Amino acid sequence: MAELKKVKLTSSEGTEFIVDRKVAEKSVLLKNMLEDVGESDMAIPLPNVTGPILNKVIDYCTHHRDDPFVNQEDDSKKVSDDIDDWDAEFCKVDQGTLFELILSANYLDIKPLLDLTCKTVANMIKGKTPDEIRKTFNIINDFTPEEEEHVRKENEWCEER
Amino acid sequence: MDSNPPLPPPTDLKATWEFLENGIEHIMNRLEEGLSYKRYMDLYTRMNPGFTSEPLAGPGATMNNNRGANLMGSDLYQNLQEYLQRHLQVIREGSSQYMDENLLRYYTEHWEKYTTASAYLHHVFRYLNRHWVKREIDEGRKTVYDVYTLTLVSWRDNMFMHVERNVMAAVLALIERQRNGERVETKLVKSVVDSFVALGLDDADSSKPTLDIYKKHFEEPFVKASEIYYKTESEKYVTENSVTDYMKKAEARLAEEEDRVKLYLHQSTHKQLITTCEQVLVKNHEDIMVEEFQILLDKDKMDDLNRMYTLLSRSNGLDPLRECFEKHVRKSGSEAIERVAKEITDNIDKEPRIYVDALLEVHKKYNDMVNKAFKSEAGFVASLDKACRDFVNRNAVCKTGSSKSPELLARFCDSLLRKSSKNPEEGDLEDVLNNVMTVFKYVEDKDVFQKFYSKMLAKRLVHSTSASEDAESSMISKLKEACGFEYTSKLQRMFTDMGLSKDLNDQFKERTSGETDNGVDFSVLVLGTASWPLSPSSTNFIIPEEVEKTFQRFKLFYQNKHSGRKLNWLFHLSKGELKTNYCKGSKTGYTFQVSTYQMGILLQYNKDTSYTFDDLSQSTDLVSDTLTSQLGILVKAKVLNLKGEEPDKPPRYELNMDFKSKKFRIQLNVPIKSEQKIEVEETHKTIDEDRKLLMQAAIVRIMKTRKKLKHVHLVEEVISQLSNRFMPKVSEIKKCIDILIEKEYIEREEGQRDSLSYIA
Repeated sequence: MAELKKVKLTSSEGTEFIVDRKVAEKSVLLKNMLEDVGESDMAIPLPNVTGPILNKVIDYCTHHRDDPFVNQEDDSKKVSDDIDDWDAEFCKVDQGTLFELILSANYLDIKPLLDLTCKTVANMIKGKTPDEIRKTFNIINDFTPEEEEHVRKENEWCEER
Repeated sequence: MDSNPPLPPPTDLKATWEFLENGIEHIMNRLEEGLSYKRYMDLYTRMNPGFTSEPLAGPGATMNNNRGANLMGSDLYQNLQEYLQRHLQVIREGSSQYMDENLLRYYTEHWEKYTTASAYLHHVFRYLNRHWVKREIDEGRKTVYDVYTLTLVSWRDNMFMHVERNVMAAVLALIERQRNGERVETKLVKSVVDSFVALGLDDADSSKPTLDIYKKHFEEPFVKASEIYYKTESEKYVTENSVTDYMKKAEARLAEEEDRVKLYLHQSTHKQLITTCEQVLVKNHEDIMVEEFQILLDKDKMDDLNRMYTLLSRSNGLDPLRECFEKHVRKSGSEAIERVAKEITDNIDKEPRIYVDALLEVHKKYNDMVNKAFKSEAGFVASLDKACRDFVNRNAVCKTGSSKSPELLARFCDSLLRKSSKNPEEGDLEDVLNNVMTVFKYVEDKDVFQKFYSKMLAKRLVHSTSASEDAESSMISKLKEACGFEYTSKLQRMFTDMGLSKDLNDQFKERTSGETDNGVDFSVLVLGTASWPLSPSSTNFIIPEEVEKTFQRFKLFYQNKHSGRKLNWLFHLSKGELKTNYCKGSKTGYTFQVSTYQMGILLQYNKDTSYTFDDLSQSTDLVSDTLTSQLGILVKAKVLNLKGEEPDKPPRYELNMDFKSKKFRIQLNVPIKSEQKIEVEETHKTIDEDRKLLMQAAIVRIMKTRKKLKHVHLVEEVISQLSNRFMPKVSEIKKCIDILIEKEYIEREEGQRDSLSYIA
């Protein structure tokens, strides 16, 4: 059976990873390519993903290998607090790794992983003041006080009463 | 294999495009050479603008990335679109040298190659699809499509629009050749169809496929061509061949077209194509087929009839056939009855069977025809029923009125259910009874049938001549099923009375055991007057003293048991057996099976051996008609001798002491012909009376619930309530209404002459 076949992946620095085709196919990019080009023993180069990140991604895909494939984008389901324990644990990484995961998920086209990592970032922002957010993400405030007042006024309607 | 060119720096737009175009070119033209994972990944990665393998500095970079994707996106899209145009230009130019089948081959080959490659491109450009294209579409740009759709739109505008005419001409030529019987490569047509269907894109929403292109550019010309082809062919064919041959041809052609749709057209064409073919092949030739129908009926051509039915049912042209069929069945039925009518009038008492068989034969023949040739279609079933109803109730035998049919049918039942050596086997009997029900269904005067049936059932039960209790109850349950509980309730009461009488006899015997009865063996049937169609005798009768004692004892017994009930003795239906001791011809003596009246006469001869008519009349108190006929039988059987030589003296009836017979049991209780005939006539007469009562009851029932009703509506309702029994005549209903007004059940509304109301 095709699903049981192994697929060889190479990270940007040349590390090889061997995974089940089924695991690799959580990535729509790899899925499409394997279908288009067909299987071969050749390694698939992933020049935009580093070894440690690819390792994390494979962990995620292996854990979720049997999840049903969700195709349509259901906007109504965009809530950030439906993360299960395994996924929450998975996201307990430093910020750098988290952002690289986001980019890799986008590149490899793994929608659930992209959603998960983005929700994690969203949860880091939720309930914080602008200053706290700046502190969390190490952002320098480049607004003048006038600009800041203007923005605050514009968004007054959404503030808590 | 791949010549993996080096990756240009991502910032160099021109170099990047050149790199990509190289890859696209490879996919479009040389896919069969294969594509390595690396090349695929390089192409994909290159379209991920701003994404580098360098670790990201931080959130600040995100904004720039977005901006980059925007710029890169529109450029990429633009470049891709232009590339496709150029690519298709080449293909289009290549097509101009081909015509007909070769053009089709060229078109479909390129189409397949192009769409396969497009699927690749769609995937390779997935990043563009997911980001730039998605955003453009979300923002409402109608002219931006995802990559696969873009390739289709490009093909439509740059290829299809230019070659479509020639391609279709070639397709139509190919199909015509196939219709003419040549073998052709249908795969080519199939491919063209697929391509036309795929090109159907909704301009308002490119994600929704439509069939516009296929409908306009394929289906329309194709259906038109088919119409012309079959119009020409069928018109020629009918002038040169018989109608039956033409039907075969049309049937085959229609099947061919059905297959054609399945084999290589789009499913949606089915309706259009078949409707058109039905019009040209069937509807246009309906007239000659309808004309042929009568001929086929006359010759019982099942296959051709079936073919005609199938064809005309396609064009909704069955009505004239149904009409013709109905007429034909009615005629066949009437003719069949006419043929047996003579035989029946000669033999009217013995052969209801001939009549019923004749009806059944016609019904069976055309019922089979409806089932086989007309697929039991409801319209034909209705026509058959209508025709059968007609000839069952109105035919040469029923000249006097529709009540003759039910009478004959009831008598046929009697002949089946009465003990007889000719009775069919149990299993067959059930079939025959079912056949009876078939005819019964058509009988209009069901009340007449009921009358005769109950009379004859009564006789079977009283004379215990019923062949089988199972068969009797089977028949009754069939009637109940057909006409409801009420119709058979009296018949069922009759069976109940029979059972009760049996118990009664047992009880009586038990009570009287030990008491001497001069060796008289006695049994009696006690039957409810309301359920049994039996009338008391018209004559008095003195019970012979030999049985008088038993008679009185039973009366006493019964009065004790049910005080207040009145017993009427129906001696004319009773019978007995007498044992002779006087005959020299037999040592053991003969046994005479006699009617009660005969018994009354013969027992007088215990006292003397010669009586005058008056003597007997006095001692039995029978009216002279009855006495005469009973004596007639006894004289004819030579039990009595009529001596009348001496003039001036009345003739004498003497006991024949020399009576001889080969049998030990002699049946003297034979029915009298003239009596039977009178009975039949009387039964018919009572029917009119009964109907009046039924109609009056119905009118009162209706008026009681409605309180007020227009005259016309009342008549309608009476008809609808009673039509399962008989067809009431409007004039009769009116008479009944008048009777009821007179009896003050109902009255006319004041001021409104046509309105009636109920008087509570």
